Amino acid sequence: MIDLKVNAVQKSFGGLHVLKGVTFQVQGAELIGLIGPNGAGKTTLTNVLDGAIKPSSGTVYLNNARIDHLPPYQVAQAGLGRTFQVTRAFRRMTVLENLYVPALAMSAGKSQKDFQAQAMEILEFLTIDHLRNEYGRALSGGQQKLLELGRLLMLDPDIIILDEPFAGVHPKLMEIIYRYIHRVNDAGKAIILISHQMESIFTLCRRLLVLNYGDLIADGDPETVKNDPAVIEAYLGEEDDRSGIGSAQLGAPGNA
Amino acid sequence: MRRQIPAIAGSLALGFLAAFPLVYGAADYDYIMHLWITAFFYAILASSWALLAGYAGQFSFGHMAFMALGAYTTGLFNNYFYLTSAATGTCFEIPFGSWYFVVLDPIGISATPFSCLDAAREAWAGNVVVKKPSLWFGILFGILVGGLFGWLIGRLVLRLRAAYLALFTLGFSEILRSVLSAELNITRGQAGLELDPLFPNGITIFGAVFDATDKLPTYYVMFALFLACIAIMLALERSRFGLFVRSLREDEDAAAALGVHTVRYKVLVFVVTSMIAAAAGAVQAHYIGIITPNILIILQMALVVAMAVVGGLESIIAAAVGAMVLYFLLEFLRNSFTIGDVTVDMTTWRLVFFGALVMLTLRFQRNGLLYPLIESCTRSGVAEETVAKRVAGASASEDAEAAK
Repeated sequence: MIDLKVNAVQKSFGGLHVLKGVTFQVQGAELIGLIGPNGAGKTTLTNVLDGAIKPSSGTVYLNNARIDHLPPYQVAQAGLGRTFQVTRAFRRMTVLENLYVPALAMSAGKSQKDFQAQAMEILEFLTIDHLRNEYGRALSGGQQKLLELGRLLMLDPDIIILDEPFAGVHPKLMEIIYRYIHRVNDAGKAIILISHQMESIFTLCRRLLVLNYGDLIADGDPETVKNDPAVIEAYLGEEDDRSGIGSAQLGAPGNA
Repeated sequence: MRRQIPAIAGSLALGFLAAFPLVYGAADYDYIMHLWITAFFYAILASSWALLAGYAGQFSFGHMAFMALGAYTTGLFNNYFYLTSAATGTCFEIPFGSWYFVVLDPIGISATPFSCLDAAREAWAGNVVVKKPSLWFGILFGILVGGLFGWLIGRLVLRLRAAYLALFTLGFSEILRSVLSAELNITRGQAGLELDPLFPNGITIFGAVFDATDKLPTYYVMFALFLACIAIMLALERSRFGLFVRSLREDEDAAAALGVHTVRYKVLVFVVTSMIAAAAGAVQAHYIGIITPNILIILQMALVVAMAVVGGLESIIAAAVGAMVLYFLLEFLRNSFTIGDVTVDMTTWRLVFFGALVMLTLRFQRNGLLYPLIESCTRSGVAEETVAKRVAGASASEDAEAAK
């Protein structure tokens, strides 16, 4: 069973403490939302988890293997994949080549031909199969997001971190991303979803983690988190400042 | 059919180049052969730099330094290492079976050098066999030394990108040039280190005898080296290596997050391209017969960069052809001409035209002049295929909606 343990992870940049001892665990095919105001440390936490930056202290274990000291490619091979907040498709490589990169990186001795059928199935699912021979730069922003998601399917990790997958995406493409999330989750993979779109978070996720200035201030089901005073304060400020706003800004389950 | 054009054109060009020395018979035969040999040399350098910079995104300005490492390694090997059938007693030597592997003392810059081996020869009075190891071992060592330094530089620049990488490698190149100039007791500095020709005793090919100064054998050696280097690079380009180094160029962090061992491939591309540059340098050094530290001046590096840029950085073939075309162009532009009473001295002005061509290419045709032509053939039909599939997909959706 998938088991990600994050223990007291701290990260400082000079005098700036971006993560202040974050601890949580992901077990099995959970679908978790990671939320927090801008500057809360969400992307830094993602970078620590995927090995892009090393934590100042604390440990990260994936399936009982310590991964916090590993470089990103080894973390990916250990079973943790991610997308980026700003889409990072390989722009001067074709759509198919974009998909072959993780597939070949994960399997020695195989060639692009061995993955052609799988890649085409994924592109059809993402509705961008007609673009298979186009360069990444020819795709729209939304299509590039889909391409990034497709690459993760080729990587086939145990845990996927999706960093703002809905940002700037047309509603039609959002439907495809919803279907993608369900497909991955139904296949027994865990997902950590980072988004400022609360409707999507509350619709999709069964558990929420809330970061605020590097502290994990809440961890629980959406309903509990939504009514957590610390979360409301983090999002809306002091009690006196939020008269009349209520918890609407945090969204409501099922209203997407 | 259109997709086959580059392959057909390539085959015709190879046939032409293979037959050229045999069918060309004009009075300027040696001069034209010299141009082709040097054009192959630059084509190897430009295409390997295209693999490093255009494919892998590693904008190194130290490529000529690796070429020089190959040239100087074989040059030093050729000048300093001997095999003797008796101990000299005066040189550094290592017993090697019934032979002695002898390393000379620094030869210095004297016009009439007298080495420790010369002293031994006087004592032996002609009773001892003295011979040089095959210069091909020197070329092989040159390639290995190039690869070793490629590995070292590749490791050192792991965290450097863009301008920092360019400046670092430029620094390495200048340091090497300064060391080669400063250590003149060993390298003879600007006095130049002389090397034996590729076939010092001549060679017989299919009954035809060629002496050491004949161009034809060297033409085929350099042509074979060119073909081998291009074949190796194309094979790498089409393998996972090619895919991964291109992903490095596009986004190193994203490639790593997708499981690509970025460090390994970054170092590997430095090693491969350095070895290729060193091989070209080593063979060319034996062809020219003398090397000085000037072979790695910044102007030479700029020439290789310009050749690759004008041909097309993102294609090994385009960079190689671009190098050949530009080299011939530069050579033929040497012919001065007069307009009325004004004489245009093209020995100087040709570089101005050359610079202008590079600037115009960068401004208006950033992918080079040749690469877009190749790409328009190899990717012909892609746009039509995309549109057709999109239309077919839209029709299928409409049918599904209607069925509902």
